[in-house]
Amino acid sequence: MPVSNEAVSGRTKHSSAPRSPSKVTQNLLAAILFLAPAILLMFLFRLVPIATVAWDSFRSSAGQWVGLENFVFLLGSPSFRDSLSATLIFNLIVNPIQIALAFLLALAIVDGARRPGLWQSLNLMPVAVPLAVSAIVWGVAMRPDSGILNSLLAAVGLPNQAWLTSPEQALWSIVLIASWVGVGYWALFLVAGLHQVDHSLLEAAKIDGAGYLRTLFSIRIPLIRGTLGFVLVADTVVNLLLFAPVQMLTRGGPEGSTSFVMFDIYRNAFVFRDLPLAAAETFLLVLIVTAIVALQFRFMKPEGAKK
Amino acid sequence: MSLRKLTRNFIPTVVAAFITLVFMLPLLWLVISAFRPEEDIFRYLSPFESQAIIPSRVTLDNFVALFATGFGRQIFNSIFVALAAVAIGLFLNSLAAFALSAIEFRGRGVVFSAVVLSFLIPFESIAIPLSDGVRALGLGDTYFALIAPGVANGFAIFLLRQFFLEVPKDLAEAARMDGASLWRIYWSIYLPLSKAPMIGAGLMIFLFQWSAYLWPLLVTNSPSMKLAPIALAQFLGERNFDAGQMFAGGLVLAIIPILVIVPLQRYFTRSVAMTGVK
Repeated sequence: MPVSNEAVSGRTKHSSAPRSPSKVTQNLLAAILFLAPAILLMFLFRLVPIATVAWDSFRSSAGQWVGLENFVFLLGSPSFRDSLSATLIFNLIVNPIQIALAFLLALAIVDGARRPGLWQSLNLMPVAVPLAVSAIVWGVAMRPDSGILNSLLAAVGLPNQAWLTSPEQALWSIVLIASWVGVGYWALFLVAGLHQVDHSLLEAAKIDGAGYLRTLFSIRIPLIRGTLGFVLVADTVVNLLLFAPVQMLTRGGPEGSTSFVMFDIYRNAFVFRDLPLAAAETFLLVLIVTAIVALQFRFMKPEGAKK
Repeated sequence: MSLRKLTRNFIPTVVAAFITLVFMLPLLWLVISAFRPEEDIFRYLSPFESQAIIPSRVTLDNFVALFATGFGRQIFNSIFVALAAVAIGLFLNSLAAFALSAIEFRGRGVVFSAVVLSFLIPFESIAIPLSDGVRALGLGDTYFALIAPGVANGFAIFLLRQFFLEVPKDLAEAARMDGASLWRIYWSIYLPLSKAPMIGAGLMIFLFQWSAYLWPLLVTNSPSMKLAPIALAQFLGERNFDAGQMFAGGLVLAIIPILVIVPLQRYFTRSVAMTGVK
């Protein structure tokens, strides 16, 4: 959208303010009607579930108020602490890797790779692939005895790897599975961001003798830090909630190395049938996710809508 | 070609080509494996022979066997649920976006923040406890349970509102002078102007619904109501699952969104730019 339109809407915003009291109520009523379906869904699928989870997490399975007992038990349990640390380690690895690769790809596309449209289209394809399919493809490829990855390693003289079957490599294997569909997606955002950098700034820097890397680190990265921040936050939300590959391939193992929080909640709810514990764990997760999403929203806030 | 020009075009092209190759290879392998007899998938791997990636026999047997298990019905479910979510979602999110951009009322900023923020909280985060309640209400194994949670989308509302804010207000003012209702203004002025962001928002909802895994896993049980990714994933749990059928199913699940998104990618990238760039 051209920037000039923003000025128009900014100007008319004030002039079209409701004038008469009857128009004020009329507008309010209309707004309520237009918003009703969204607000209803917001209650049904966000606010009520979150309130229920909060309520359940302070109660026993018999419905008795137990105060912070569930949380105390949770924070003291080694299995929760393991899954929390696995989730954090996973996120500390997967987010920087995905964003670095996505940034590299975006730079290559924007900085005059021949036929940028072709590369962008090709990289869009894995983006559309569901994570469950990624888990299937890589799960078969990573079989220690009959997978194509070990076969390729052997062909170049490298030793077989255990992939998903070893506590040391399972988490990294999940990083690979998640990144196959993640990198191209985040690159889309970064391509859009890089395109917005004013070209004349880059030309001016070049005339002043700044090299590629200098321009990159001193001008372009600072100018797209909003986009980078958005991508970092949005990517973190996705990876904090990662579930499908774990449930399909590792079931949290080996030795708890991939028992990420979502899978731990799933296990507490459906394997151990400890619903108050699952509720408490969900409540903590929702608190963390909400805090991160609020940060994400700040990155999205458009100039025109700032209060 | 001067050295400068060479580095300027050559290096980015090589980097883009290399990353692309790395990401495309698994997809190619998926395609090849789906169309060959299962034993051929593993036959040429120890030691690695070129036939491992160049198929010698091509067959549709994997697809035939897979669809005999009821996979066709499950693919239909996935398509139906995704299309319904897009249709309902576009209507509902655009209604909300219209109220939050074209109608002046007190507290609009607060309502906007509350609505978008709560729909930005991924539904998955509360899906597990919620599924118990949904099944207790007798809504397990229904299209309603599969579709309803994914329709409202924070990004879609945000994106459509951004676009609506840039529609010149004079248009709506003039229509109102002529006695047009707000509904009329929404339906006859705003929507026809918003084809591009509507397609972008529709793609977001489609991709979200198509890749959904946790929620459909939780609320469906009967084979006739399962979505395709869940049915396929369950093969993995079987002792001697057929890898050929897995790849055939994976290919179907991958090709449908690719066919949707590649022709419409400029709308998708444009909407991405509008939500992610400040």
